[in-house]
Amino acid sequence: MAPVTITNVRKRYGSAEVIHGVSVNIEDGEFVILVGPSGCGKSTLLRMVAGLEEISSGDVRIGGKVVNDRPPKDRDIAMVFQNYALYPHMTVYDNMSFSLRLKRRPVSEIDSKVRHAASILDLEKLLDRYPRQLSGGQRQRVAMGRAIVRDPQVFLFDEPLSNLDAKLRVQMRAEIKELHQRLKTTTIYVTHDQIEAMTMADKIVVMHDGVVEQIGAPLELYDRPKNLFVAGFIGSPAMNFIEGQVSAVNGQPAMTTDDGVVLPVSVPRALLQTGQRLVYGIRPEHITLGEGGPAAHVSVIEPTGSETQVFMKLGSNPLVGVFRERIALHPGERLGIRLDPGKAHLFDKTSGQRLA
Amino acid sequence: MRHFRRKASGPLVAIVFWTVASLITLFPVYWMFAVSAKSRVQLFGSPSFLISSFFTENYLSTLSDPAFQRYMTNSIVIATSNALLVTALALLATYALSRYKLPGKENLFFWTITNRMAPPAVFLLPLFLLYTQVFVVADVKLFDTKIGLILLYCVFNLPFAIWTLRGVIDGIPKELDEAAFVDGANTWQVLTQVILPLAKPGLAVTGILTWVFAWNEYLFAATLTSVNARTITTGLAEFVTVTGTNWGRMAATAMLTLVPALLVLGLAQRHIVAGLTFGAVKE
Ligand SMILES: Nc1ncnc2c1ncn2[C@@H]1O[C@H](COP(=O)(O)OP(=O)(O)O)[C@@H](O)[C@H]1O
Ligand SMILES: [Mg+2]
Repeated sequence: MAPVTITNVRKRYGSAEVIHGVSVNIEDGEFVILVGPSGCGKSTLLRMVAGLEEISSGDVRIGGKVVNDRPPKDRDIAMVFQNYALYPHMTVYDNMSFSLRLKRRPVSEIDSKVRHAASILDLEKLLDRYPRQLSGGQRQRVAMGRAIVRDPQVFLFDEPLSNLDAKLRVQMRAEIKELHQRLKTTTIYVTHDQIEAMTMADKIVVMHDGVVEQIGAPLELYDRPKNLFVAGFIGSPAMNFIEGQVSAVNGQPAMTTDDGVVLPVSVPRALLQTGQRLVYGIRPEHITLGEGGPAAHVSVIEPTGSETQVFMKLGSNPLVGVFRERIALHPGERLGIRLDPGKAHLFDKTSGQRLA
Repeated sequence: MRHFRRKASGPLVAIVFWTVASLITLFPVYWMFAVSAKSRVQLFGSPSFLISSFFTENYLSTLSDPAFQRYMTNSIVIATSNALLVTALALLATYALSRYKLPGKENLFFWTITNRMAPPAVFLLPLFLLYTQVFVVADVKLFDTKIGLILLYCVFNLPFAIWTLRGVIDGIPKELDEAAFVDGANTWQVLTQVILPLAKPGLAVTGILTWVFAWNEYLFAATLTSVNARTITTGLAEFVTVTGTNWGRMAATAMLTLVPALLVLGLAQRHIVAGLTFGAVKE
C-alpha cells in the first residue's frame, strides 16, 4: 500500500495535448475514482500511472518515489482492464499465478495465494477452465483475481464494469467496494458512470477535456459543485439550469429569467453585479410543490413507483422535479412550485464558476 | 423421404468430388511409386500401372548410397534451419512492426516484399559472383556451403513470412502485452510467454511453407553448390546422365524425399488450431 501523487502531469500525442497539467493527491488506502465523459483523458492518466504511457511532463510518485521512468513491472501496481485482457492460452489458475511465476515465487506460496484469491472471488470451481469457457462476470472476477494475488501497492481499474449487464454491474460494484474495505489497498478507478463514482469512491476526481474540474468526496461534489460542468455531470436526473440576469426584489438580490420569472437568491450582494448573467441550478429533489412561488406547466409525468418524475416548463425553461409522493397530475396542468433559495446553486454564466 | 434424400445428396456429391480430386492429385505419386517398385526389365518389358512383385533393390541401393545420405542430410539441415531461422526472425520483425511506433514502418513493411517481385533467376548470376568472388574471407567462401544456402533462402522467405505473420500478430490484442507488462514481464517474457503461444498456428503455417520452399528449391541449390552442400533436389537431377536415366533409382529417391516432408507436415499440423485467441478480450 502506498500513496500516489500526480503532480502537474501533461500528455502530448505529437503536437496535440490531451492532458493539460493534472494534479491529484491520493492517500494511502484511499479509493479514488476518476470520472468524466468519454474522451476526457481518464484512461490516459491511469495508463501514465501504470507506466503503459509515457509522461510528457510532470511527475507521478508512488510511495513517495518518482516513477516516471520506471517500466510497469517496477511500479508494483496491478491493473484490471476494461476488456479483462485474460491470457487466452492459460487456465484461470495460470492467469492468476502468472505474475507470481514471473517473480519465481515458490510453488507452495503461489498455490496458497491463488487459492486464497479464488476463495475471496468465488472462483475455486473455475480454476481449471480457460477464459473462453467463462461468462462475462466470471472473466471480470478472474481479472480481479489476477490483480489481488499480486498484493500490489496500488490497484488500477479502467472501466472494469462497462462490459457487464446492468444487474451484474450493481452486484460487482458492491463486491469491489467490499474487496477494498477488506484489502485496504490504494485504488484508482476509472469510469464514465457518475453513479458508479458516487456509490464507490472515497474521493472523486471529475475530469473534462484533459483538466480536473473538481476533486472531493461524493456528497461534497453533489452539494457544492464548483462549476457548471460538475453541477451538470454529477447527479441523476441532472441538475436543472435556468439562465437569467441579476435583479433585486425589495432590496434583496434575485435573478430574473428572460421570460420575466423572478427567483430569489441567497448570495451576498457583494458577489453580484448589476446586469451580470447567471445560471441558477436546482436539483430535481429540491423543487417542492406549493403556491406563492412561480407557476410551471406540466409536460410529462413518469411515475416509477417509489417516486414521481415530473417534466415541466417554467416559462421557456424545461425543469425536472422528483417527488416522493404520488401526485395526480395531467400534462398541460398548471403547477405551483417553490425553489428554496438555500438549496439553489448560483453560477456565473461567462466563467461557469460557482458564486459563493 | 424426399427430405432425407435431399439432405444426404449434399455430402454425397462432396464425397465423390473430393475422392476424384484426391485420386487425380495422388495419381502421379502412385505412378512414381510403381516405377520405384520395379526393376529395369519389368519397367521396360511390359509397361503397366500395377505392381506384381515389389523390387526392393531400388530402395536398398539408394539408402546405402553415401551421396544420397549426404544430399538428404544437407536438405534436412538446410530446410529445417531455414524454417526455424525465418520463423524466429519473422516473429521478432512482425512484433516490432505491430507494437512499436517506427517512422515509416508501413514503407518498410512494403519494401520487404519487393525482392519477391522479380523472377528469382534474375538474381542468379549476381549471387553466383557474390558467393564465389565477393563474400570470401581468406579461403572461406559461401559457395557450396549449407550456411550459404540457408542465408539465401532466408532472404527469399523472410519477406513472405513477415507478410503472413503480420496479420497474426496484429490480431493478438495489445492489452494482453500490457497486462503482462503490468504483471511484471519484460519484453522478452511477453514475447515468449504470451505472443509465441498465441501465434503458434500462424508460426506453424509460416514454418511449413518456408520449410517446403527450401526443401523443393532447385535453381539456387543447383547453381550455388557443387559437392559438399548439394541438396536432394539437385541429387535427383543427377540420375539423368548422358548414358541414360536410372528411372527406378530416381523414383525411389523421389519417394524417399516425400518422407521427411510428410513428417514435418504432420508435426506442424498439430499446432494449427484455429480460434486460440477467443476469450482474451470481450469482442
Ligand atoms: N495513442 C493516441 N494517439 C493520439 N491520441 C490519443 C491516443 N490515445 C488517446 N488519445 C486521445 O486522448 C484523449 C483521451 O483519451 P482517453 O484517455 O482514452 O479518454 P477516456 O478514457 O477518458 O475516454 C482522446 O481525445 C483520445 O482521442
Ligand atoms: Mg477510457
